[in-house]
Amino acid sequence: MIARLRRMPVTWRRTTMVVVGIALLLVVLAPLTSTDAAQQAGLPLLTDKLWFRIATTVAMFVTLASAWNIIGGLTGYASFGNVAFFGLGAYGTGVLVSNLHWSFLIALLAAPLIAAIFALVVGIPLLRLRGHYFAVATLGVGVAVGEVINNVGPLGASTGLFLPIMRSDRLFFYLMIGAAGVAVLSTRLILKSRFGYGLLAIRENEEAAAVIGVNTTFYKVSAFVIAAALTGLAGGIFAQWNSFINQENVFPVTYNVEMILMAVLGGAGTLLGPVAGAIVLELIIQALAGGGSASVYSQIGLGVLLAVCVIFIPRGVIDFFGGQSRLSLSYLRRTLRETSA
Amino acid sequence: MSLLAVRDLTKRFGGVHALAEVSFTVEKGEVLGIIGPNGAGKTTLLNCISGLYRLDGGDIRWDDTSIRGMAAHRIARLGIGRTFQIVRPFPSMTVRENTAMGALFGQPQGRLQPHEAQKQADEVLELVGLAEKRDFPVLRLTVPDRKRLEIARALAMRPRLLLLDEVMAGLNAVEVEQALGMVRRVRESGITIVLIEHVMKVIVGVCTRALVLNFGRPLAEGPPEEVLRDRRVIEAYLGERYARLQEAADQERAKPTDA
Amino acid sequence: MPENSPLLAVDGLTAGFGNTPVLFDVVLEVSPGELVALIGANGAGKSTLLGALTGLVRTSGGRVSFDGRMVTGLRPERIVAAGLIHVPQGRRLFSTMTVERNLTLGAYRRHDAEVRQDLRKILEYFPALGDKLHREAGTLSGGEQQMVAIGRGLMGRPKLLMIDEPSLGLAPKVVDRVMEVVKTINHDGTAVLLVEQDVVLALEIADRGYVLENGHMVMRGPATELRNDPAIRKAYLGI
Repeated sequence: MIARLRRMPVTWRRTTMVVVGIALLLVVLAPLTSTDAAQQAGLPLLTDKLWFRIATTVAMFVTLASAWNIIGGLTGYASFGNVAFFGLGAYGTGVLVSNLHWSFLIALLAAPLIAAIFALVVGIPLLRLRGHYFAVATLGVGVAVGEVINNVGPLGASTGLFLPIMRSDRLFFYLMIGAAGVAVLSTRLILKSRFGYGLLAIRENEEAAAVIGVNTTFYKVSAFVIAAALTGLAGGIFAQWNSFINQENVFPVTYNVEMILMAVLGGAGTLLGPVAGAIVLELIIQALAGGGSASVYSQIGLGVLLAVCVIFIPRGVIDFFGGQSRLSLSYLRRTLRETSA
Repeated sequence: MSLLAVRDLTKRFGGVHALAEVSFTVEKGEVLGIIGPNGAGKTTLLNCISGLYRLDGGDIRWDDTSIRGMAAHRIARLGIGRTFQIVRPFPSMTVRENTAMGALFGQPQGRLQPHEAQKQADEVLELVGLAEKRDFPVLRLTVPDRKRLEIARALAMRPRLLLLDEVMAGLNAVEVEQALGMVRRVRESGITIVLIEHVMKVIVGVCTRALVLNFGRPLAEGPPEEVLRDRRVIEAYLGERYARLQEAADQERAKPTDA
Repeated sequence: MPENSPLLAVDGLTAGFGNTPVLFDVVLEVSPGELVALIGANGAGKSTLLGALTGLVRTSGGRVSFDGRMVTGLRPERIVAAGLIHVPQGRRLFSTMTVERNLTLGAYRRHDAEVRQDLRKILEYFPALGDKLHREAGTLSGGEQQMVAIGRGLMGRPKLLMIDEPSLGLAPKVVDRVMEVVKTINHDGTAVLLVEQDVVLALEIADRGYVLENGHMVMRGPATELRNDPAIRKAYLGI
């Protein structure tokens, strides 16, 4: 398999992974306990609405980052417009629930479908572009879709779309966790399969991939469609969870950058990299979201942190835990030399 | 019926003809050497055959079916494998994984699964002499080994025709001998070969026929001994020094041995 | 007339990349006006040696002196300024710049008046480049590119020009022409250190030769001796 995944973790790394794994498990299962038991056990956080909101948002970004990783990390086509699929999924579900009065869970199934179809249609021409051109083109499409939706009457135009409120922190928490789970599972299945190897080949050397028999067009478009579907699913869940969607909250350009940063800082092309990156980065962003002068300084701090990470751990945090990296200049030089070879 | 037939192949880049009405055939089992000055269109020819370039005129026929306009991956699956002049390995994979990629995607029949492909890769690595280095990351390989890997990956496709683009460049005399040995083994396993070279030792040593391209057009074609003594080829490509060395060697051979 | 003190003197040079040593205790000398050949298999360390001499590869031991000065560990620009210039393997031209620009960039450290003059001299060596000055370097054929690369090196007015595998990927006829130019340049007074895979070619035009094997200098001597040495013939000519 890919060299990075095969690295055997040293004991302390294994311990860290186990500890983190247990912590995540507790976090995911805790809300299933009754709120009384939680209060008696002195864990007010578990009953806190804010906590649910943050946790659900983190799960959402795990989904978005993992989905991006499939087209950006595995295949090497860095899309800067995946937020379009998020918004399309949101509006897809939103319109079915709000205008056509479908039940939410049925309408949710439409979200990935709509995103996937859109990805298929724009993907075929877009994926003929490479590198920077592809990035800019996808950015443009992402923005354009938001603008178009903003002007369509039946979709609520600039007012936005309201969905009947469903109060259940737990439902949406588990739905998002479910979406994240599907995203991670999909990535795992891809990585172990022939399809995954084909995507890697495209990333590493597309012409060589073509002459050994990889149908590069089909594979690229498939990866793009899968990423879109997963992203759209998250959007569909968001629509009902938030009960209100408009251009600003489901097509925010910043989401594009955030999901890429999470995947890249965590480790683009790996299985758990985007997960780790999403969790860490989103928690930081949430913590800094306070507002006021403190938030300006903390945003500067975030920028500095990102710069430090990019300089010293260019291959991502997962590489840091799984491999021969150290927070050092020689590691930087080595990775720079290898990537420019 | 020829395995591969190229007819009046024309390829332009802007106003320049990289290839102009090139025609030749490749019979099963032969080793065709393509030589000519830089810019003569040799690599362009391989790119046209393997489907990376679209033709502007003419046709390419494989087993008497036209493959003009076919996507590169379909041509690969028909049984045509190739190497690149500047090698293109997959850097994040090991030697074995790189080789397995050829088996995984390029075989005419059937879609292999990763572990089967890796087993087949091991066999190919034995053939090219990279077996001990199978777990090396590509970046650890020397240049000649990277060329061997490039060939291994193509061989793992089980091709019927192998296109080699200047695989001998940068090898010294001994390394060329070793590489020639490998080319002979490949040929013996039933694979037809077309190779581009500047190293004349290869053309003389292993090719059954040679084709000379100059400015995108065929200049001469035939058995290597004839082609390399053709005056036009000497003027356009080989130079007087080579001609002199060749004459001297000929005279040596022609000397009557004492009884 | 060759002087007694060598132009380039390399003593006990050790170098490598990270934890991998490539060169071990290398000794080499080039006198003014000489043409010295450096031969060896792939991976023997020839290009690493040239890199170490030009300051691109860090050395971990030994000394290099050029034109009477210690140049070990100096930055590449200073070494070029001292007159030791490297024509790298694979040409490494600035492919989107014109031929003329590539050539004048070789004289980067010098001033205008003489640069024009030197450019004309280069065109005397390589008349084929005369009508190609305004073409993008990347559009030239391999042989023409090699000439531009050597020309660019010459524009720096080197005392010693180190040329790495000029025959790589070139047609036999073109190789002949390039080698003629190398001989002419040497004849006109520039010392040359020629790294070559084509051992016959290198020993044909060189005065002396060195053989590098796995980072060790294993043999040295006059070119005629090396040509006839049985060990060399076996190892590098396959005879």
